Amino acid sequence: MNSILVLLIAAAALIVGYGVYARRIDRNVIQPDGKKATPAKMYMDGVDFTPASRNVLFGYQFKSIAALGPITGPIIAVQWGWFPAMLWIILGTFFIGWVQDYGAMMMGVRRDGDSLGALSYKLVSPRARTILMIFLYFYLLLIMGSFGNAVGKTLMTNPKVPLGMFTVVLMGILAGQMTYKWKKDIILTTVVTVVLTFVGIWLSTTKPVAAFFNGLYGLPESPKWFLGNTRAQVIGTLLVVIFCYLGSVMPIWSFAQPINYISFWIVSLGILGGILGMIIWRPGMGDFPAFTKFTTASGPLWPMLFVTIACGAISGWHSLVSTSGTARQLEAETDALPVGGGAMFLEMIFATVAFLTATAAFGGFQGYQDAGGAGKALAVFSGGLANFLSHIGIPKEFGTAYGSVFLTIMALTIMQLCVRFMRVASAELAGEKFPAMKNIHIGTIVALLLTLVFVWVIPWLTIWSAFGAANQLMAGLALMLIALWAMSEGRKHTWALYPAAFMIVTTIAALLYLAYTNFAKLSSPDITTQAAIAAVLVGLIAVVLVVAAAFLVYDGWKALRKPQPKKAPAKA
Amino acid sequence: MEPGSLRHRLQRIAHAARQILYGMTTYEWAQSAKRERAEVERLFVLLSFGDLVGVPILPPYYTLRLLPYVVPALNRWKRSLLRERDWTDLAEFIEGID
Repeated sequence: MNSILVLLIAAAALIVGYGVYARRIDRNVIQPDGKKATPAKMYMDGVDFTPASRNVLFGYQFKSIAALGPITGPIIAVQWGWFPAMLWIILGTFFIGWVQDYGAMMMGVRRDGDSLGALSYKLVSPRARTILMIFLYFYLLLIMGSFGNAVGKTLMTNPKVPLGMFTVVLMGILAGQMTYKWKKDIILTTVVTVVLTFVGIWLSTTKPVAAFFNGLYGLPESPKWFLGNTRAQVIGTLLVVIFCYLGSVMPIWSFAQPINYISFWIVSLGILGGILGMIIWRPGMGDFPAFTKFTTASGPLWPMLFVTIACGAISGWHSLVSTSGTARQLEAETDALPVGGGAMFLEMIFATVAFLTATAAFGGFQGYQDAGGAGKALAVFSGGLANFLSHIGIPKEFGTAYGSVFLTIMALTIMQLCVRFMRVASAELAGEKFPAMKNIHIGTIVALLLTLVFVWVIPWLTIWSAFGAANQLMAGLALMLIALWAMSEGRKHTWALYPAAFMIVTTIAALLYLAYTNFAKLSSPDITTQAAIAAVLVGLIAVVLVVAAAFLVYDGWKALRKPQPKKAPAKA
Repeated sequence: MEPGSLRHRLQRIAHAARQILYGMTTYEWAQSAKRERAEVERLFVLLSFGDLVGVPILPPYYTLRLLPYVVPALNRWKRSLLRERDWTDLAEFIEGID
């Protein structure tokens, strides 16, 4: 199938999904009132509760939800063939993804801007909030493990990447200084720092730089150093950890935020260039099979495909951003659909582009496998992007380095903020019993040590599946909350309840599968200590998540069976 | 310029595009600057008007002298200080997590 045709199908799904189905639910079921005061207006505090234009919020929401997930998931999932992956991206967004993002946002707006924790306390049960918090910590740990693995053990081991990454960091620090200390114009700051970043990426492709990192990593055959990881992987991971440490303990304006800003430009320009190159090139999928086999390295198609592609079809994280972030800034109830629903449908297009880098950019299945396949999804994306960029005149060598740097920095910007979040969470959770946890350095070091265990010990595909399952389970629970909220207002709730049931059943099945396969590995006589630790870790996390979900579903089921109020009055 | 004209429409599209770009880029910076200012303000009002929430810190004489300047912010301050928070409130600080 031709790549342009795939893009057109995705665009058609966007038009029908957003224009017909989403609008219908919005108009007939939720019935937003543009004149009703939103929490942003009622509780305006100039900070968290502040009305903002829907265009600004659309940009904010999209940036908040679209990162590494919609890129990595589809590239791994095409191991089942292009058809199931494409179908899930489109149908997942069409029937479930936007429902969650939009529903969570409306729920936040109608419930005085409550966060997801407060909503689960009120709509499900008091213990639901506590369970959600535990759930969240594991979820963040899995994000750190999976992203850290992808960056530290794959991308950073490419000698053409580290200098580019250092350049982005330095330019981010420079951007922070120029803006906050030297009070320079933002356009000047952007031009200077982004141009210098590109120079840094170009320098990283030169021979002396490559020779330096080859020597440091001991390439081409990097020796094994620690826990079966090569010297390049250990150094790459440690660089990631140092970066995250700085991101967690330094003031946000001087490090995390400006680096995020620079990375936005690097990423956006890359994606725009890639799309342009694809449109000019119009590659087909060649011999890429529509369906390969039911069971692959990641497991059976059901349930594993549905947790492998999380963000890009449906992602639980979006419900947190929609409630705690965007819902408190909506100017009018009528803005929820374009902001929440619109951003999710656009993310579907983003995921489709990532899907095409795996299926179309290498001319077929063998090309995809040679580029790294599911096991090296990020290397596949950078290689695919380089192939697209080569059609607008950008040399492949530079394109590959550029793609790798942009993925690295995309993951690192998320990881540094996750560590920040984890240190705050651990201070609150354990700060009373262990006062040392309130120290920002100790909280950060604990989070990073846990991350290192996950990165060094657990294989990439396993940890990605566990991360996807946790993410999707959160989506199922958020959808259950949305159904409960709609029911509490006397509105139809099946549009959220059926997707919730599907997501909860699928993700619990995925977690049970992960637990079973990992514990089963322990009975193998050839298993190494490292593999046994990994199997126990993943198995235990899967069990903990299943138990937490069982409690939440039980409480949710009880809440669902409570007497319903009268139907909401039809809109005049 | 007529509201329905092509130029008007193009200007509206350009305006929307600028706003979306702002939302994707420096809106977060503006939010963070506001948050920092609000935290300093919150601390200041807590020091000077803590007795309103049961934490008397400053003697009432000074509180009364400051009262006219702080009245407009009092409601907002109490709401933001007393609002119950949990980890999920922190989610907005982590952009693009997945």
